[in-house]
Amino acid sequence: MARKILIIDDEDDIREVAALSLESVAGWEVISAGSGAQGMARAIEHQPDAILLDVMMPGMDGPTTFYELRKNPATARIPVLLLTAKVQSSDQRRFADLGVDAVLFKPFDPLTLSKQIAAALGWK
Amino acid sequence: MIPGTESMKPVDQPALTEAVDVLWARFLPQMQERVAILEAAAAAFTSGDFPTKQHEAANDAAHKLAGVLGTFGLTKGTVLARELEMMYSRDGGPDPDLAVRLNEIAAELRVIVENRK
Repeated sequence: MARKILIIDDEDDIREVAALSLESVAGWEVISAGSGAQGMARAIEHQPDAILLDVMMPGMDGPTTFYELRKNPATARIPVLLLTAKVQSSDQRRFADLGVDAVLFKPFDPLTLSKQIAAALGWK
Repeated sequence: MIPGTESMKPVDQPALTEAVDVLWARFLPQMQERVAILEAAAAAFTSGDFPTKQHEAANDAAHKLAGVLGTFGLTKGTVLARELEMMYSRDGGPDPDLAVRLNEIAAELRVIVENRK
């Protein structure tokens, strides 16, 4: 059965290339949201198998969105992977401490993004 | 095989590359705009008139380019944009001695973005 992934990122270029990658390489269904608030609503509505969440977004940023997802019973159990362009070790420690399921880094390779997600979540 | 990928379709890499190229063409104006922000910021910093708003815009543009250029195969662009982001995110702004470097990187990014096939 095809996986369903929600991508939450304010950058439309990132959203589109990630969607292209996950759909064409893995055959997964992709839902997109351009903000944390929109992402929350889409997560509740679509119940994705995992959420790929950008860190730096205007308004509700990635960590705040993550906390909101965890607080809401309808989304609390959905695995969340942070997607960030921050590569400094202090940022990486901060993200790991949030309690997300995995942290992936931008730029990603469109050919291998789905494999990274699957490996991070132990999907079989 | 990596766990979780058993059900994946065989990857048609040329088709994916072609689709990524189509996206690049669509988002090229956005990339060019981000580079223009960095060029203007470098020039403003060099002139000594560098408003906070322009500083923040430069940091944001550098961050976004660092995160996306490598995805389109422009790894050197990501490295350069990341270097700029480090300089712009430094407490107190970029080191005044690095004004030349800010301009150099913005110019290099322009060439990289304009020359991607």
